[in-house]
Amino acid sequence: MQPDDVRRVLAPKLAERLLGVEPFAGTLGKVRFDRSAALETFRAMRDDLGFAHLSMVGGIDWVDHREVLYVLWSDAAKQYVLLSTDVPANDARVETASAVWPSANWHEREAWELVDITFDHHPDLRHLLTPDGYVFHPLLRSFKLHEPEDLEVKVRHV
Amino acid sequence: MSNATLYSVSYAISHDILFAIGSAVGGSWGRSIEASGLVTGLAVLIFAAIVLAATMINTIVLIWYERKLLGRFMDRRGAMHVGYAGLLQNFADGFKLFRKHTVRPRAADQVGFFFGPTAYVVTSLIIFGILPISSGWSSGALPLTLLLALAVFSFAPLFIFISAWSSNNKYSLMGGLRSAAQMIAYEVPLLLAVVSVVIVAGSFDLSTIVYEQQNYWFWGPLVVALVVFVAAMLAEMERIPFDLPEAEAELVEGWNTEYGGMLFAFFMLADYLRALVGSILVVLLFLGGWTLPSWVPAGATSFPLAGIFWFMVKTYIVFGLFVWVRASLPRVRTDQLLRIGWNRMIPLALLSVFLAAALVSVRHCLPVFGCLPSPGG
Amino acid sequence: MSEMWINMGPQHPMTHGLWNLRVQIDGELVLAVDPEMGYLHRGIEKISEDRHYNEVITLMDRTCYVAGLAWEHLYLLAAEGALHVTPPERALYLRVLCEEFQRIGSHIMWYAAFVQDIGLMTPFLYGMRDRDLILDLFQSYTGARLTYEYMRVGGVRNDLPTGFTDHARKVLDWLIPRFKEYDQLCLGSTIFRKRCDGLGVLKGPEAIAHGVTGPMLRAAGVRRDLRKDRPYAVYDRLDFDMALADTADVTGRYLVRMEEMRQSVRILRQVLDWLDHHPGPVVAERLPRWLGAPYAPVGAEGYLLKRNYPKGVGFAAIEEPHGEALSYVVNEGGEHPYRVKFRSPVFANLSAASTYLVGYRVADIPPIMGSVDVCVGEVDR
Repeated sequence: MQPDDVRRVLAPKLAERLLGVEPFAGTLGKVRFDRSAALETFRAMRDDLGFAHLSMVGGIDWVDHREVLYVLWSDAAKQYVLLSTDVPANDARVETASAVWPSANWHEREAWELVDITFDHHPDLRHLLTPDGYVFHPLLRSFKLHEPEDLEVKVRHV
Repeated sequence: MSNATLYSVSYAISHDILFAIGSAVGGSWGRSIEASGLVTGLAVLIFAAIVLAATMINTIVLIWYERKLLGRFMDRRGAMHVGYAGLLQNFADGFKLFRKHTVRPRAADQVGFFFGPTAYVVTSLIIFGILPISSGWSSGALPLTLLLALAVFSFAPLFIFISAWSSNNKYSLMGGLRSAAQMIAYEVPLLLAVVSVVIVAGSFDLSTIVYEQQNYWFWGPLVVALVVFVAAMLAEMERIPFDLPEAEAELVEGWNTEYGGMLFAFFMLADYLRALVGSILVVLLFLGGWTLPSWVPAGATSFPLAGIFWFMVKTYIVFGLFVWVRASLPRVRTDQLLRIGWNRMIPLALLSVFLAAALVSVRHCLPVFGCLPSPGG
Repeated sequence: MSEMWINMGPQHPMTHGLWNLRVQIDGELVLAVDPEMGYLHRGIEKISEDRHYNEVITLMDRTCYVAGLAWEHLYLLAAEGALHVTPPERALYLRVLCEEFQRIGSHIMWYAAFVQDIGLMTPFLYGMRDRDLILDLFQSYTGARLTYEYMRVGGVRNDLPTGFTDHARKVLDWLIPRFKEYDQLCLGSTIFRKRCDGLGVLKGPEAIAHGVTGPMLRAAGVRRDLRKDRPYAVYDRLDFDMALADTADVTGRYLVRMEEMRQSVRILRQVLDWLDHHPGPVVAERLPRWLGAPYAPVGAEGYLLKRNYPKGVGFAAIEEPHGEALSYVVNEGGEHPYRVKFRSPVFANLSAASTYLVGYRVADIPPIMGSVDVCVGEVDR
């Protein structure tokens, strides 16, 4: 499979919401799409292009916006492809991928609790690695490791 | 000493002690001390004390033997530090458990909580007063020793259940029920295998059973009964491969989860006492007890306490077999275990009963079995 | 009894790690499962953002402490991609040596814990004895038995001591008959088969949808092994077979891991032969000095300055002993990585717990969870 195949399948469905298919060393490429096209992109990747395996969903905090990274694998093509969408920091929401790939469930829980990205229609968005009721999102750049947390705010009772 | 029995030795000691005290005191007090009731009473106490001491030492050595043998199976040495080759390790463990604070849950049933393990240990110890170890070391006047020993042995599920229920912990209760179910399920094949031996020996008295094995040990013709008995004994003793109730303690569902300190020590002690009882019963019923085959030279059987010596050798070999099984096999799941007990062991045990009956009917026709005086004589 | 939720953990001898398996049971039957993770969450990804590239390596050992060198390798493949550094060939072979010995060690550790849960006490100690030989090998060239810190950006820290390859070959010769012994003790035991056959079934399509990888996936018959499908380091030059089974149950996973150990021995013999005949440098020549001063590799020519250093993003995937692990390293030109993100195979394998645990008995949970080979350190990071 070539990056052009991906572009050829996605372009008709997403039109201008497909922001680009960039080369990325070691993979098929990095597909950047607008977050409103999330569900269509996921369905197209799984059903039309055969990426049945969602390996990872990760969040990266770029301070003014956050990047949601998806890594997919295709057994037929034996290749990875990266999907990426940007969400603004003040409205960090994107549609969940767990309806399309059940493996997204726990990855999205982790991305939410660490990088504060809310996944709409996620079946079970609660804490996974951090304690229940922990109010901080530690992997944001604004969370400094060397400053003490405000102990009064620390754990909200659930 | 060849005609001395343990009771006669105890009686002699008691008699000597009381008569020495009586003659030292003198007068009417002295004569009342020498009364036969008192002598008999003290003799019984001395008998019990000797049996208790011997049993406890034997059990401690048995535990040491298991730890070392199990270690060797696992390519390691076992306990080495406390005492020479770890001989004092179990005393150290017992002392540690003795010192530990027994946590008593407030909501537990106080009487049952203490009664369960205590009764469990006591009934396991009682059996040792009944089992004969040699022609001299026996309870003498008790008839039907086999029946009595097995009856006391079967109390265990009751006390496990009492302990589990008294813990006031629903998981312990479930674990106790499972454990009791396992023991009760395997009582039936156990007793049927014993019935085979009784049919061939013609008596419920253990000394007579050993006497009946003087020409041939029962492990040969009654091999099916032996297999059933050993397997059922492993389940009764809750050893691997049938120790899921003990492993359930890992799942916090064991029946002894709430116990600590000395009460826990009681459970462990009772486990090993029952293991010793199981091995002794195998030796008595199938391996000819304290006798050796007639082709063994006389020198091997004529030294003092030879009977006890060979009995212990056989017991430890049988227990070594149990340890070998423990080192090699995985655990059977409870439902599989119960299925084996009810669906496989009982038919096999019934088969052994029929074989025993067949053996009895043809015995006098086959020269190898010799000519035995009628049983019960 | 009516349905109730019980906690197996977080302190539990069976779970091999600090996590809580909540099961909803009705008597003996498991109705629902909710694994509760996070007890071992140490914030490795966050701490890495404050450390130099070479200093992150100490964290990787502790991510999965049973397969530390594999995780070091994973991180470094991505970090070297982000830093535009190419290690020399001998370093690549040494890394494969580490990873394959680590695979055997991890699988022996899995075997020992797995059979212990089923009740076999003896193979547990045989496994520990044999794993000790591998740990001794590690100690001879990395200096440690558990937390190695052996690899560096640009290669590895040092070369092998003399006589290592001969000793390693003796260890491999010792291990092959031991694997046969393990099989005799387990597959040859009727009780083991009765407890493990048909248990914890997870079929191929469902496994792929849930992101399951590694021996669990190959036991279902799915032909995926990253060392074959997307070779990294020097795996494309090595000759080995993929371990597969078709029963998708606990016994199948057992067979796959045993076969993987044998294939690892095969790989290692080839690697040892190559290492004997191809001496060379073990670290790249031109490396930035700011990688981490106390840990700078021996012989590094640090003349590249930080302000001129190009940015980059690195992505790597390895076939770790538990399955497929990913790493994503973002280099924004600073001394520290901007973001490191790891994907742990056990994370996905555990998230699929409701597919292979529901409907079985409580007494089946130890064998099934044992066959999943949980290493909590990498789940929680």
